[in-house]
Amino acid sequence: MSAEESAVVKIALVSCGSEYAGVQPEFEEAAAKVNAKFVFPEVDIASIDTIGRDFGLEVASGDLRLMMARAKAVVEGTTNVDGVFITTCFRCAEGAIVRNEVRRYIHKHSRIPVISYSFTESTTAGTLLTRLEALTTIARRRHLLTREVQTGLTAGIDSGSTTTKAVIMRDNKIIGKGWVPTTKVLESAEEAYSIALKEAGVSREEVQAMGTTGYGRFLIGNHLKAQLIQEEITVNSKGAVYLAGRQKGPATVIDIGGMDNKAISVEDGIPGMFTMGGICAGASGRFFEMISKRLGVDITELGALAVKGMHEKVSMNSYCIVFGIQSLVNSLAKGSTPEDVAAAACYSVVEQIYEQQLQEVDVREPLILVGGSSLIEGVPMALGKLLKIDVLVPENSHLIGAVGSALLASGFIEE
Amino acid sequence: MTETKKEEITKYIVISSDKVLPSDAAMKIYESEFPVTVKETCFGLIVSGAKNDVQGVVEKIRQLDKNHIFIKDRGFPPGDERRCRASRGGGPRPGFHFLREEVEMLPAIGAALDELEAKEHVKEKCKTKCRLKTSDLEKVIEEELAR
Amino acid sequence: MAKVFIYPLNSLILADLVERFGHKPLTMMSQIREKVTGLSLDSPPMNITSEDPKLGLKYAAIEVPAGVRGRMSLMGPLIEQTEAAIIVENPPANFGCIGCNRTNELIKYLIRSKGVPVLEVKYPESDDEARDFVNKIAEFLETLPREKPEENEKAKEEGLPEKEGKE
Repeated sequence: MSAEESAVVKIALVSCGSEYAGVQPEFEEAAAKVNAKFVFPEVDIASIDTIGRDFGLEVASGDLRLMMARAKAVVEGTTNVDGVFITTCFRCAEGAIVRNEVRRYIHKHSRIPVISYSFTESTTAGTLLTRLEALTTIARRRHLLTREVQTGLTAGIDSGSTTTKAVIMRDNKIIGKGWVPTTKVLESAEEAYSIALKEAGVSREEVQAMGTTGYGRFLIGNHLKAQLIQEEITVNSKGAVYLAGRQKGPATVIDIGGMDNKAISVEDGIPGMFTMGGICAGASGRFFEMISKRLGVDITELGALAVKGMHEKVSMNSYCIVFGIQSLVNSLAKGSTPEDVAAAACYSVVEQIYEQQLQEVDVREPLILVGGSSLIEGVPMALGKLLKIDVLVPENSHLIGAVGSALLASGFIEE
Repeated sequence: MTETKKEEITKYIVISSDKVLPSDAAMKIYESEFPVTVKETCFGLIVSGAKNDVQGVVEKIRQLDKNHIFIKDRGFPPGDERRCRASRGGGPRPGFHFLREEVEMLPAIGAALDELEAKEHVKEKCKTKCRLKTSDLEKVIEEELAR
Repeated sequence: MAKVFIYPLNSLILADLVERFGHKPLTMMSQIREKVTGLSLDSPPMNITSEDPKLGLKYAAIEVPAGVRGRMSLMGPLIEQTEAAIIVENPPANFGCIGCNRTNELIKYLIRSKGVPVLEVKYPESDDEARDFVNKIAEFLETLPREKPEENEKAKEEGLPEKEGKE
């Protein structure tokens, strides 16, 4: 690890009072795990009185005004930080408005990476870890993230909650792919990796560098001695713009995984704002798996079915994976066609992503849809319809994490 | 009643006086018999120690210029790591801003207390139906004219 | 001696005036002190854990944000002890414990609906207003009962310094 990478990352904590909600220790714990430290930007007391006008957003709570003043201090460089963590209470409207505007403001006026989160008293360090890991990576490894071309012979493994993916890349081309359901993390990784190696026709010894990502990244990365062990926000952003051939400029990446989903605003391949779902499985690949089972089709056939149906014909009154499926089953019982039900399932998932994830991320074109669920044709179609923009699904969109890992890992060959 | 454990408390003494400087007040405490810890700050002193000692000492200091010395409790002990800006990572602790705002108002509050005291003085004197001292009368006239 | 709730709860001026005129201010500082100097678990910076917002459920429903309920777990017990209150309107910029206006709205409401004597004054912006401010507060505090028989006895028992020793 270079000196730059081992240095403590300074994250400005811009919050309205996490210390009163009992979550501060969780914040600190998550930060310590990624070798980061929270700092509180210096503000001029006099600026607090006028910050509402200066910022253009007048709110009643002093702590929210303090948030704006702190954001200003960060943007103006009064306080030097590597990243910003903006957080307010879940369910507070005033807080949500300030949180969103402050995040946009920092994003617009600086290159400092920002993440935002709304907490409850039950927020744990674990929930925050991936977010802070992504934030510190962007701060620490900017140079690595600027890599646009894969070089040498590298491998990438993405250990997802539902499937494990592996790719072998050589000189900017995918030469081997493995895709297996995740059972035991290590065994599944070994299996996917072996399949990819076989297809590529290379041996493990020949592989010059490896990157791992996904839920099982640490276990697999340490086991296979990977040079890069990286969370999926960073890797998937990179992988998405690489596969889509949109490495320069803005992009929005939506990743619908087996268990959660992510919406990431990307600029030149580097993630800016992002949100992660994970509270409800109703917006994940799991939902599609279950609905396929109920319809008696293979998940690979669900997409084609959905494209032929009309979601409007089926009433869905819940996004919940349990009640949602109940709605769909009821519709089938009332005579709805499997096509309409499949279309409704796709629409339900993207609608939930729209309502939960995309509320906090500016959608800028191109919109790149990745993750296993992007292969279900009804999903990009429903998303395009909902957002009224063209949705780009790159080739190998389900291998996004593995490709991103292999690409970034090639940065370690030269080092 | 026996005390099992002496309760430790911390108080701010905010000095907004023309007569007393924070250093004078600190010296007074050092000279006193009270076993308390004193920390000088830009606006006054932070005193901490056993409850009775701290209460005794702050009252004594207040009497140095009672209408211009103000006292408030503090939750954290002085120099507490959790609140100290050095270990907290920059930015003053939240209470500091508010205190600073209030400190700016203290000269006016002090003046108001002086007036109030003078008035009470006059009132009390009048109750016993004695003649006003000319100096007191002068004060009253001045006050009335100043309105 | 009446227990007087002050708003803002961390005000130097209010806490000082209440004490100066012989009453006991109910302040945030004492609540924080209890939290941070207790020997129990260490949850920096203020030892507020995820259990505290649950204690706040006594004053606000579960749908009320955790930060409000966490603050209420500190301020609520003070409201319960309140015998009189001084509420300052439009105080200067407020942060920390009183930095959440939603909490402030709730505590002021709870105080007002408690049925205890409440003085509402404007934060002074000039010398004249400061005079008025002090006078009103002094007048209000004068109307409150000086001492309660049982408390007086207790005070003597504990040998606390007498508050009325000024004049």
